[in-house]
Amino acid sequence: MNDATKRPGERGNFAPRSRRLAAATLALTIFCPMLALAQVPPRFYWKSLSGANAVPVIYQSLSGNANPVDPAHVVSPDSSVDANVAIVGYARMMPLFDRTLTLAVLQPMGRISGETSVAALTYDQAANGFGDPMIEAGINLIGPKAIRNIPDLLRYEPKLSLDVIVDLAFPIGEYDSDQALNLGQNRWYGRLGTPVVWQIGSWVPGRRTTLEALPSVWFFTDNDDYVGQTLSTDPMFQLEAHLTRDFTEHFWGSLDSTYVAGGKSTVNGVGGDALNNLGVGLTLGYQINDNLSFTAGYMATVNDSDPGDLQMDGFRLSLTYGWHKIVEGQKRLKE
Amino acid sequence: MNITDKKHLLRAAWAGALVATIAASQAASPSTAANGKRPNIVIILGDDLGFSDLGSFGGEINTPNLDSLARAGVRCTQFYTHASCSPTRSMLLSGVDTHRNGLGNMDEWTAPNQVNQPGYEGYLNDRVTTLPQLLKNAGYHTYMAGKWHMGKAPNQIPAARGFERDFALLDGAGSYWDMLNFTATTPVSTFTEDGRYLKKLPKNYYATKTYTDKIIGYIEANRGDGKPFFAYVSHQAPHDPYHLPRDWRNRHVGAYDKGWDAVRQERLKRQVELGITPPGTELAERMWFVPDPNLLAPAPRALLGKKMELYAGMVENMDFHVGRLLDYLKAIGEYENTIFIVFGDNGAEGADLFKMIAGTPGTRDFLFAAIQWSQTHPNAWGDPHSYVGYGPMWAQVSMTPFSQYKGNMAEGGIRNALIVSGPIVKRPKGSINRGVLHVADIMPTLLEVAGARYPETLNGQELPPLIGKSWVEVLAGEKESPRSDQDYLAWEMFGNRAVRQGDWKLRWQYKPYGTEEWELFNLAEDVAERHELAAAHPEKVKALLTLWDDYVRANNVILPSRVLWEGMEKKLPDRYPVEAGFPPLIYKRQFIPPTNMLAEPKP
Repeated sequence: MNDATKRPGERGNFAPRSRRLAAATLALTIFCPMLALAQVPPRFYWKSLSGANAVPVIYQSLSGNANPVDPAHVVSPDSSVDANVAIVGYARMMPLFDRTLTLAVLQPMGRISGETSVAALTYDQAANGFGDPMIEAGINLIGPKAIRNIPDLLRYEPKLSLDVIVDLAFPIGEYDSDQALNLGQNRWYGRLGTPVVWQIGSWVPGRRTTLEALPSVWFFTDNDDYVGQTLSTDPMFQLEAHLTRDFTEHFWGSLDSTYVAGGKSTVNGVGGDALNNLGVGLTLGYQINDNLSFTAGYMATVNDSDPGDLQMDGFRLSLTYGWHKIVEGQKRLKE
Repeated sequence: MNITDKKHLLRAAWAGALVATIAASQAASPSTAANGKRPNIVIILGDDLGFSDLGSFGGEINTPNLDSLARAGVRCTQFYTHASCSPTRSMLLSGVDTHRNGLGNMDEWTAPNQVNQPGYEGYLNDRVTTLPQLLKNAGYHTYMAGKWHMGKAPNQIPAARGFERDFALLDGAGSYWDMLNFTATTPVSTFTEDGRYLKKLPKNYYATKTYTDKIIGYIEANRGDGKPFFAYVSHQAPHDPYHLPRDWRNRHVGAYDKGWDAVRQERLKRQVELGITPPGTELAERMWFVPDPNLLAPAPRALLGKKMELYAGMVENMDFHVGRLLDYLKAIGEYENTIFIVFGDNGAEGADLFKMIAGTPGTRDFLFAAIQWSQTHPNAWGDPHSYVGYGPMWAQVSMTPFSQYKGNMAEGGIRNALIVSGPIVKRPKGSINRGVLHVADIMPTLLEVAGARYPETLNGQELPPLIGKSWVEVLAGEKESPRSDQDYLAWEMFGNRAVRQGDWKLRWQYKPYGTEEWELFNLAEDVAERHELAAAHPEKVKALLTLWDDYVRANNVILPSRVLWEGMEKKLPDRYPVEAGFPPLIYKRQFIPPTNMLAEPKP
């Protein structure tokens, strides 16, 4: 078909299309669920418009032979711990020296219960309240420059992106030194990591594929009042990986895995084993509208047949609300 | 009849015979290279390529290979095609007016009163002969690759119309990646190769690349036999949809965010510097329904700019493959003995074809588009199943400095850039010619070059006359135009019509693009057609109308009873003149008070 029909451009169509694209891109990128018990969800390190904000609400149901709320994963053989935890956070992206800086704060809260043993004593306990708040600062070093405006956002493709992140948890969560199970950890901890996002193929909603990895090292100070003992944990290496793929423009999935090594914990110098565990899982994500996205996931350890191995599994549901003043303003104006 | 009359008659007969003999000897005297071989001929046709897109015509698009032909040859700034593609192609290959060669209207828009009328068959009819046929008869190899769009039946395809080898898309457009076409009733593009209809496309097919590969292959297959060749490289590019390999899509990221007005102005400035247009040339009015880009937010500008980025990539990719062909011809030693003729088939495309095809939810074609053409995200633009055209704003850029674009009788619809290079060009390399030329001139020009003759009959039927005039003397630098002041050109397409004689042009167009009145312009002073002069020069209107009537009678012009402009006036905003910077209200900038007069509020 080659004709000369005149169907001129329609002025009123220009802005709404760009607004829709911008809003959709905004919701898809920044506002994935936040840090969740040492598991960063897939697509967390995609970048969005500077000035964009997100509030994630994450619910997790976890079970295992370690305190699921403690990223050190101090294994207590024969123990059984259940946790129902919600995490609420806030994140914001901003430019720094033309790179994307992401700042986030997370506050876990919820209930934890079960049997665990410390120094040959078994505790059947429960705890509830607020956990240790954590902050994260991350800056992109390799990849697209900071997204300062909507045209930049529309042109964003991660290609090969590399960030550096620093996490730090503040030991101010609920903690009872008489208990082995707590939401707070009564010690400082955090990590250094280098998230990598590798775009595979085109960056078209509905067809995006990424391979993502987050190698990181966790550091822990001592907990000098761990049911009267001193809990020490060596630095722990963690490698998370996700293979993500869009199923439709708004629906995506991910195969997830986490490997941890090291992080040997000792109580009063009496040691357990260093961790050497692999967990696998999957995540499904759906963008409900311009502002709201939803994910559901499950992960379980797999090489956990020995008593000293970390055994843990859990479900995760998340809702994340995101916004940016430009996008919201355009939506208010409608068309 | 008395004796004197007889003497006059004999004298006239002798004179006529002498002229005929001279003409015949000229027609039979081919251009030859030093080795005695007639020149090869390569026609490179860009589909919807705009007047100002090539660097050598003021474009910012990177077209080094096509520009190299311009540097080696001559650029022509008053070259006319028709307002849409198959009519132009039909005149290129037949040398006969569209209303006689079968493309009196595009097949897709044949009006009820044109159905079954001779000259309106919708394909190149069998009452005309073709350039490739005559060149083949004259000893040329004849090759074609690319878009055909002049008939699909076995007696209408390239192999039936004189091409010895062909790889042809018979449709007017389609996917560049596969056989996907646009509508539920024509879901698959039809291709031929060497006269057979293809069941599937070759592996790694991409239109522009494959067409080039095929042409090179055809030339290579016969290059040892000493015969010259005629190669018709009828690129699909840069016609929408803008399908483009990924590595060609991002070469101008953000370059067009500045907007169409700025790019038009930059192109005009370069055109003046290059000598394409004279100093003082006005830009045509921005189409009244196209917004001032300076008033758009950054995001829409970026999105609309990205469409132009894609288009620029299409042109650059085509230029790249033209470069492959040039390199090949240089490598085999044929470049110097090859005539290249490069042009676009009509004005740039400003219409939203895709919306026209699939724009109404609930229709059959909308469903087809939803399944096959719904890769609408900007990051998918260029991929299979995406459909991007750049719209009227960028089409006007492509047609800088002219008014309007494809489908219209304004200069932006029918005037295009032309490059001719090769052994028949004796003008200074890189020079510019301003003679009034027409696409139908190409046939008599090339027949003369090849030493071939246009026959009087075909299959016992008298052939219609060629309407064009040979450029051989023009290209030799012996005169500026093949036309005298008395010669005229005329066009009719979709009911729009125009006639040009000398510097004067009379134009009639449906509303709202036109006034549905005859409008008069002096193109020597007003190439942008901004100043309508009918009231000031009624005698000129009358004279040109006489020519128009002559054209209608001579070519059996049947004005269509139905046209695609119906209802257009109601769909578009009211038309008011576009004045830059008006109204001032929306262009006022923030007032900045003198700093020495700033003050805090008093308590």
